[in-house]
Amino acid sequence: MILKSARPCQRLSMPVSETRTRPALGAGPDDPPQARIAAAHARLAGAGYGVSVPRAFRQVAPKIAAQLGQEAALALADAASRIAIRTRPRIAAQFLDLSVPMARRLGAPEPFRRWIALLQGLLKPAPDAIEPLLERMETLHQRLGLAPLEAWVQTGLRLAGTDLALRRAYFTLELPEAVRLLERHAGEDTFHSLEGELRATHRALWGQSPPIREALPQAKGRAALRASFGAGVIQLPASYSGYRGRERLIYKAALAHIGAHMAHGGARFQVGQLKPLQIAVVSLIEDARVETLALRQMPGLARLWLPFHDVAPEGMATTPSLFGRLARALIDPDFPIRHGWVRKGVEMFRAGDGQIGNPALSRHIGNILGNDLGQTRVQFNARDYVVQPVYRDDNLGLWDLPPDPHEAQQHHHIDIETHDLRRSEETDSPQDRKTERADQSTDLPPEKIVAAPAASGVGRIVGHLPEYDHLAGIERADWVTVKEYDPAPGDPLFWRKLEDRHGPLLARIRSLVRAAAMGRQKRLKRQAEGERLDLDAAIEAAIDLRARRTPDHRVYEGVSTPDRSIAVHLLIDTSHSTGDPVSPTGPSIIVLLREATGVLAHAMTQLGDPLAITAFASDGRDDLRLVRVKRFSDDLGPLTGMALSGLRPGYSTRIGAAIRDAGATLAPVPAHRRLVLILTDGEPSDIDIRDPDYLVADARRAVQGLNSAGIDVFCIALGQGAGQRHAEIFSKRGFVQIDRLEALPEKLPALYLRMTR
Amino acid sequence: MSDSSPLDAYRLDTEPKWHATGDEISLFSAAYAARLPVMLKGPTGCGKTRFVEHMAWHLQRPLVTVSCHEDMTASDLVGRYLLGPEGTHWQDGPLTLAVRHGAICYLDEIVEARQDTTVIIHALTDDRRILPLEKKGELVRAHPDFQLVISYNPGYQSVLKDLKESTKQRFCALDFDYPAAQFEAQIVASEAAIPQTGAETLVRIAHKSRNLRGQGLTEGASTRMLIHAGRLMAGGLSVTEACKLAMITPMTDDPEIRAALSAAVDACV
Repeated sequence: MILKSARPCQRLSMPVSETRTRPALGAGPDDPPQARIAAAHARLAGAGYGVSVPRAFRQVAPKIAAQLGQEAALALADAASRIAIRTRPRIAAQFLDLSVPMARRLGAPEPFRRWIALLQGLLKPAPDAIEPLLERMETLHQRLGLAPLEAWVQTGLRLAGTDLALRRAYFTLELPEAVRLLERHAGEDTFHSLEGELRATHRALWGQSPPIREALPQAKGRAALRASFGAGVIQLPASYSGYRGRERLIYKAALAHIGAHMAHGGARFQVGQLKPLQIAVVSLIEDARVETLALRQMPGLARLWLPFHDVAPEGMATTPSLFGRLARALIDPDFPIRHGWVRKGVEMFRAGDGQIGNPALSRHIGNILGNDLGQTRVQFNARDYVVQPVYRDDNLGLWDLPPDPHEAQQHHHIDIETHDLRRSEETDSPQDRKTERADQSTDLPPEKIVAAPAASGVGRIVGHLPEYDHLAGIERADWVTVKEYDPAPGDPLFWRKLEDRHGPLLARIRSLVRAAAMGRQKRLKRQAEGERLDLDAAIEAAIDLRARRTPDHRVYEGVSTPDRSIAVHLLIDTSHSTGDPVSPTGPSIIVLLREATGVLAHAMTQLGDPLAITAFASDGRDDLRLVRVKRFSDDLGPLTGMALSGLRPGYSTRIGAAIRDAGATLAPVPAHRRLVLILTDGEPSDIDIRDPDYLVADARRAVQGLNSAGIDVFCIALGQGAGQRHAEIFSKRGFVQIDRLEALPEKLPALYLRMTR
Repeated sequence: MSDSSPLDAYRLDTEPKWHATGDEISLFSAAYAARLPVMLKGPTGCGKTRFVEHMAWHLQRPLVTVSCHEDMTASDLVGRYLLGPEGTHWQDGPLTLAVRHGAICYLDEIVEARQDTTVIIHALTDDRRILPLEKKGELVRAHPDFQLVISYNPGYQSVLKDLKESTKQRFCALDFDYPAAQFEAQIVASEAAIPQTGAETLVRIAHKSRNLRGQGLTEGASTRMLIHAGRLMAGGLSVTEACKLAMITPMTDDPEIRAALSAAVDACV
């Protein structure tokens, strides 16, 4: 989509540069500049766009020509003409009017040309986007700058696809996602660019890995200003605009502050009879209390937090100022105290040092201080109150707020949205962004995934498998019917496209494989060192010695490193849930599964490891649906590629039965190690089973059965939600979880190489 | 001990220091008294090797240490024929040396060795206590003082790098981990000769890094790394510099994890 829209834009921009070079080469007979602009004006006037377009051009062209040169002014005429044709003359006039302030902003001919090209590029794919974009152009450009603006526009086109209403909502900024993306493109360091580092830091400092999410825009699309936590989830603003250059420090400080809350906080405070002012003061004291405790263990955090406390010790005694002073005085011993209320707070806090481990201290002090402040004439506006300094959280996580039904509902709402957001975040994890930057073509087209139709072919019954009933404690023979389905015809060019998309990755894997230096085990004669003597060489050497000649010292015999001997049966879960996209704009899980399997199969073929690939799903115990993508005897060729790309999501996940089947096919393969590798995005389930433990117990039994037959079973659980019961089924060492699904094609082969090294 | 001359080089003259954190010394002594083979489990750098050295000194036995590696073959352990001026002669490998003359043989990181290598110790680790030298056609009966000790790091996430069940079950096992914070600080302080407070800071940093175990790091900072950092501090480096040189840079190449570790160091200093 993007490429399609990008191409016409390049073509359209060509005439601009051509017209620029022509006079320079002396092709045109020294037309005076005014004459050429007048000619352009005449063309516009004669084209039937009404009076507004030529009039606007007459007004702006001299200004643009004066500022950016004649060519820029001429390009304007060309673009205005195209806009008038594709949309309406009114919009073309609007464009011309806007060009003067934009020229001032952009300041040079080349950025101006790119700006025009950006708009012209929209003409064909999304002419309707031009008007809303022009209306907001100055604000957007001020916020983003040119290159991020281009990226933001392209993202919008991709996000909306052919949905006109969605596109309009995006470019008018009514869509929360548009605001979110705007935030992201705006900052130098945003939540997304720092996400991986922040997660690891939090884990290192506090030993916990709570989910960390990007905060959603609040009602009416206003971006969240402060961090927040609650229900075990940390939410950080998408960006901290207005703190350019310091975002990284703010994020680290904010996360460390929340970490202190989580490590040293107690149960949520009950609101009870407290007034908003008291709530704010109690929260402030609690902030200082947890920070004080954290500083005792990690004194270095002071260097992170204190720079943000920039309030002056004196000045007008407004609420924000007093709050800021108290907050600073409580954790900064060098801060001079000039106000009675602040002094009282600090003294009470120090006096309560023996109780500092108890959150009740905050409530006690905050109560009294809040009351004191309430008695004075100091104004407190709860609606506009924003916690200071910037790194502190909004304190909602400290309070139990159910009595207000409106609040409670909103909270709930946030929780649900957060859940949805989780998936979208993973798509844009830092790792992916790196690869994206390195190679734009890895960006998968948003392929429409159709679920497998109910009657997609008829399965052949190929056998029956037992199943374990954990309540009865018996294994029921021939309980599950195994049916094989023909692979749906997929893309015959799958391998070539994979090579196109993942070229650098495949090359990297090839060199990794080469580095592993595999080969057949061979006897190596005449070696300088080795396990045993090479008899022939030894005799020759002995003769040489007797004859008083210098013997060859290479008299040993060795063997080259032994052949790898591992056979793998790869099981791919294609249940219904794999049709879900990993993010609103991203590809679905199954697309990634196919890619990752392709890359892995590629690597394994080079390693020479025998490989079979089977996709499984189930529709009750009478229909374990297997698609044999590749058998051990098949070569990795176009047919495999077609079968792999033909996989469609549908039905349920009866893992145990699939494991048994894979084990049975592995059993006769002559290899030292045999491995069943399972890729799944969820837990076992099926339509005919209500008891959640039943299929888990059966799967565990199947794994144990294979283990005792000398076959290893390893599971790769996809997504954060997955893997809760996998430790039960596969044992703790028997599975690994991959959170960032879009990195799967890269991670899977690396994981395999590490696992089988 | 008239026959112990080949092992003289393997005797420990000075006591390798060991800070006991539990009853590991008495447990190991009991296993030695019964001449049972022992397996030491635990992450890298937590003191397994040091402990064996200490026990060898404690029990007054020579110690033959073999660091196992991927290319190690059975011959590397038991010995091989060499070519001399007068023809071939047999040279005992380290394991045979220990078996013949009665030393403690310590096979470090046994899973690194090839699978066929581990099988040759089987006959040594049950009541037969024999080592067949196939190529020489000799059956070596173990000296009464001989004991086999292996170390094993269960942290590897590789299906192939696990001990065979049949090997595992022949050993008594002692579990090692990084010592509790106050012990570890004492160890770091005394080994690196730095003040206790500095050692405590290092240990706090190490704990932060161990939080990342399995989340970007295969292992956290080991006690050994802390001692290295401590020595650098004793030499005049700041905590931040020492940690960067001895811990952060060696442990990971991932910029995000490095940033997290640096943040942890900053927070603790």
